[in-house]
Amino acid sequence: MSEEFELQPIDEFRFRIPRNEARGMRTDVVVYASRRLIEQIRRDQSLEQAVNVAALPGIVGPSLAMPDIHQGYGFPIGGVAALDWNHGVVSPGGVGFDINCGVRLVRTAVSVDEARPKIRDLVNQVFRDIPCGAGGEGPITLDHPELDRVLAGGAARMVEQGFGEPRDTEFAEERGCLAEADPGKVSVRAKTRGRCQLGTIGSGNHFLEIQYVEKIHHPAAARAMNLEKDQIVVLIHCGSRGLGHQVCTDYLAQMGEAMKKYGIAVPDRQLACVPIHSPEGQSYLAAMRAAANFAWANRQAILHFLRLSFRKIFGSGTQIDLIYDVCHNIAKRESNPLAGGARDVLVHRKGATRGFPAHHPDLPAAYREVGQPVLVPGSMGTASWILAGSEGALRNTFGSVCHGAGRLLSRTAAKKGRNAQEIRKQLESAGIIVRSETRDGILEEIPEAYKDVDEVIEVVHRAGLAYKVARLRPLGVIKG
Amino acid sequence: MFEILEHPADVGFRAMAPSLPELFEAAAEALVAVVLDPVNIRPARAVTLSAEGDSRESLLVNWLSEVLYWLDGERFAFCGFKVREFDSGRITADAQGERRDPARHEIRLVVKGITYHQLKIENSGRNWICEVYLDV
Repeated sequence: MSEEFELQPIDEFRFRIPRNEARGMRTDVVVYASRRLIEQIRRDQSLEQAVNVAALPGIVGPSLAMPDIHQGYGFPIGGVAALDWNHGVVSPGGVGFDINCGVRLVRTAVSVDEARPKIRDLVNQVFRDIPCGAGGEGPITLDHPELDRVLAGGAARMVEQGFGEPRDTEFAEERGCLAEADPGKVSVRAKTRGRCQLGTIGSGNHFLEIQYVEKIHHPAAARAMNLEKDQIVVLIHCGSRGLGHQVCTDYLAQMGEAMKKYGIAVPDRQLACVPIHSPEGQSYLAAMRAAANFAWANRQAILHFLRLSFRKIFGSGTQIDLIYDVCHNIAKRESNPLAGGARDVLVHRKGATRGFPAHHPDLPAAYREVGQPVLVPGSMGTASWILAGSEGALRNTFGSVCHGAGRLLSRTAAKKGRNAQEIRKQLESAGIIVRSETRDGILEEIPEAYKDVDEVIEVVHRAGLAYKVARLRPLGVIKG
Repeated sequence: MFEILEHPADVGFRAMAPSLPELFEAAAEALVAVVLDPVNIRPARAVTLSAEGDSRESLLVNWLSEVLYWLDGERFAFCGFKVREFDSGRITADAQGERRDPARHEIRLVVKGITYHQLKIENSGRNWICEVYLDV
């Protein structure tokens, strides 16, 4: 519980926990939430975790919490922290085990009316072609030299190898590849865990959802994204699989030792951190970038197999294009006005999405006038959202917005008194077909386990961090 | 002996045993049971696992990370652990099991990593008890 913290309202959608030196805080915590969401947020330890993040050496601006914040490990999920590039620290816990967990959204030339009669066949086809990979191997196995090329090249390397179309890479954050990745900093164990997992979704809250555009909220932005009402789109939520998990494990173990050397103490061991420019910090960042590139390569491979699935069901000419790909577990060097003009910061986004506004130089030409697409999946069977970045995010949150609905019930509580068959039937009666590889995959992700995604989006929209473009509804879900 | 614990986003377990080495064995068994259904696993192959740590807590996290690596990276299904050597900074254990067979070994959950979140190792007088949370 985080009841003890005094939350000072700043305005309708922002609350402040003032800096308290006795708790080691070097800055304030600012939480974006409605009054209803803040009551839900208080129920777990996420505010305490945001307070702990405020104690990190070199933090610039406030420790930020997005409206979908919930309890994580060390950092809260939905937390954003910018660390001074020259004097700050890097924390693997601020990125998480699933490095570059993210969301990729693709549009198709198929309409909801064309899809409905074939949805069961389509879901089964996708389930066959794109395994969750919980129990074994994925569709691609790489030897170590080729894996190193993927770690260095990200999505582009997959396209070079025939897993995609050249323009796919244009529509991804960082064009699907972080520079200065060093495969040599990724352990053999991490590579062994990941080498058979490209093209797989994973389990937990990861999924692939076949959706349709229920409502367009901003016609001009929707036009820029070539979106129309009733169009079928596919949302892919997954990350760097075992490779990224092992990179985090490896460096967390090292940093616990290294912190002593640098005289750093943190309130929670999971916040282990070292100076950005220390050898340990530089090694972690080089390995983290390689794992991030693996995640982009993974989502690129999934897009390739998705194209094959759709073409088997709807014909070989079915056009499928990438709208955008965002990461929501990452640490990146960015220049930001909130950091005082030209000052560079290492922005840790742990369960938060980058959302750059119109005219930002990092955007592809197609989105220059409307802002970066921000992709926010809701809980299974409810709605997902496409937003676009607004100026407010760059001014107030280091260009960051929410990443999902935010968990409300524990996995155990979600399963209590429910059985998977009933949930599957309920969803089917609402026109949603679900396939899951693991026994508990459906139960743990029931809609009631999450906050109301529409309320989270309302906060982000009205607080001026990003604006609504379109609301999406699911027809088919593939889960780990 | 172990039981599963709740966490708002993930999953944890509490393990109990009369001695520290047995606690580490029980914790490994708990992790295996979170990841897969531990029935039908044959002791077809023996492997030696080891881990180091600068504290009891980090030794437990690193030990479970070693087990997790074998579960996920080597796709191994364990049916038993026996600690051979144990001191405050190092553990070596013999483990029995077999290569995971998707037809016989049902996966319950993919565990991403072992965390220090609310990690506890305590002696209750009669038993050693640990609580560990996993990122899933």
